Amino acid sequence: MFDLVSEILQTLRHNKLRTALTGLSVAWGVFMLIVLLSMARGLTNSFRDDMMSSGTKQISVWSGRTSKAYHGYKEGRRIKLHDDDMGAIEDALPEDVVEVTSEVYGNAPSLSTTTRHIDGSYTGVYPSYLDREGHKMVEGRFINDRDIEQRAKVMVLATDFAEQLFPPDGKGAVGSRVRLNGLSFQVVGVYQGRWSRDKLIPYTTAKMMQEKKDETGGLSVLLSDNVTTEEKGNNVEKGVRQTLAATRDFNPDDESALWVFNKFVNSLQMENGMNILNIGVWILGLMTLLSGVVGISNIMFVSVKERTHEIGIRRAIGARPARIVTQVISEGIAITTLFGYIGIVLGTAVAQMIAMALADQPFMKNPTVSLAIAFEVTVVLVVAGALAGLFPALKALKVKPVEALRDE
Amino acid sequence: MLKLTNINKTYPGAVPLHVLKDINLEIRKGELVSIMGASGSGKSTLLNILGILDNYDSGEYVLDGTLIRDLGENRAADYRNRLIGFVFQSFNLINYKNALENVALPLFYRGVSRRKRNALAMEQLERMGLADRAHHLPGELSGGQKQRVAIARAMITDPAVILADEPTGALDSKTSAEVMQLFRQLNREQGKTIAIVTHDPGVGEQTDRVIRISDGRIVSPAPAIQTENPLAADQPCLTL
Repeated sequence: MFDLVSEILQTLRHNKLRTALTGLSVAWGVFMLIVLLSMARGLTNSFRDDMMSSGTKQISVWSGRTSKAYHGYKEGRRIKLHDDDMGAIEDALPEDVVEVTSEVYGNAPSLSTTTRHIDGSYTGVYPSYLDREGHKMVEGRFINDRDIEQRAKVMVLATDFAEQLFPPDGKGAVGSRVRLNGLSFQVVGVYQGRWSRDKLIPYTTAKMMQEKKDETGGLSVLLSDNVTTEEKGNNVEKGVRQTLAATRDFNPDDESALWVFNKFVNSLQMENGMNILNIGVWILGLMTLLSGVVGISNIMFVSVKERTHEIGIRRAIGARPARIVTQVISEGIAITTLFGYIGIVLGTAVAQMIAMALADQPFMKNPTVSLAIAFEVTVVLVVAGALAGLFPALKALKVKPVEALRDE
Repeated sequence: MLKLTNINKTYPGAVPLHVLKDINLEIRKGELVSIMGASGSGKSTLLNILGILDNYDSGEYVLDGTLIRDLGENRAADYRNRLIGFVFQSFNLINYKNALENVALPLFYRGVSRRKRNALAMEQLERMGLADRAHHLPGELSGGQKQRVAIARAMITDPAVILADEPTGALDSKTSAEVMQLFRQLNREQGKTIAIVTHDPGVGEQTDRVIRISDGRIVSPAPAIQTENPLAADQPCLTL
């Protein structure tokens, strides 16, 4: 192996300038491939962060307005969702739905400790809210099922509000009591908000504090692991519409009666789009690389022709044909990989520069090359190099040992 | 050591060319012979066949007890590597390899480890008095030095026979004499069987026996000279 490598290095050194010039085209091809791949990856990353981190396995449903007359009702009727619709959906689709939750927003004059007051808006949520939104607990615990059941007067604060109420750093928030709407709440936890900051209390507690105790603006349907394909995702959406059509008495085919955002199907389609983008980038990059490979192949043809005499000598002193073929192909691989890696290094550097330049842009998140891509590109390079060397090698194979006796 | 029986070789073509006609030739172990002939006499073809570089049409060629006939490329390469050491007119060293690497190359193709073959190559170069030139490229060596490197390369596999094709053709008379001296020395001291193809009568004179070829036939069935070489077997020297 070492012998082969040193043989190859010797022949490459023999023709430095020519090797370098041809290698440049391969380096360029790989450079383009890497930069394009990393940009595509940046797009994918930012998309994943936006869409996926807060859980893609859900369908959101909001109340809408009918567009078709139904059961004696006129069109244009407002459909209102109720809390018991959550249970209805869970019961109707037990296989596909893990849980149906809702959120409710409320406003109180203020939220206060004995010494401080802040704005009193709040949100009533279910325990699954934390993971779904991608929030992280900093201290204490989140709202749990018992809180929901008992309508507990507990509150989880975003770090900002904890700091405002318990200055300077929010220490001591957990365990303290705050007043909201004339009621005393115990702060049980502090969270780091991903996008939003809020004061969170149990859904049921929030409902208790409001007038329209039964109605809800929207529902979140969390899908089970059963739902894996776009088709299944669409079926669940259909099931949800049918269930609500029955409970709320509207035409199940009436699309506008409910506003539905099928995040699951949507993300699958986006994911698909990203894959297509990636494939497109690979094709583009490979095409660019191909011209480099053709160049290498060409130059190796010339090199084999020039070295006909040398190959003859090698054959005369006992080199088997396979050794010659191996050497030529290995040379192709060596040139392509060597310059390919130069392209990888430069491409990665440029990708890093792009990453720094666009650090604040939401559409381009961490556009860098992963180890997996580097590995894939390496495989591509070896294959391309072998291909580049193959035809010159077959030409070298035709050189007869008698060539050694011909004068140069 | 080396025996040709009724060898015929015709190059096909619009007018087929019958270059070797019923060649019978034996070279005994430890002999130093020259093969002489004008250009077009068939001596190059004969050399190709002796060196397993080319096939023949009919007859029999036995080298070191092995019948050389219709070999595949791999077998032919292996036999060349094991049985034959080539020395060429234009030296045929690989110009981007230093002397040591050139000498070691046949062992590379035999799969000998780097360390071992370099040690053996160094030993050969020392014998040729070129130890201090081991790491020089051929371009940095004189003609005589290059040919000695080439001879070292031919000797390194300890071949059954050394085939030299005009080994002094590219050298001046003084260096030629040195190279011939070296061949004689290898023949006398190590008992190497050596066949030198040449058109230079001066070279022929320095060999034990001259085989003349003309028009595809061997024309001088000169009786083998009784060599002083103790390593030569005491069998009949030449059959024709």
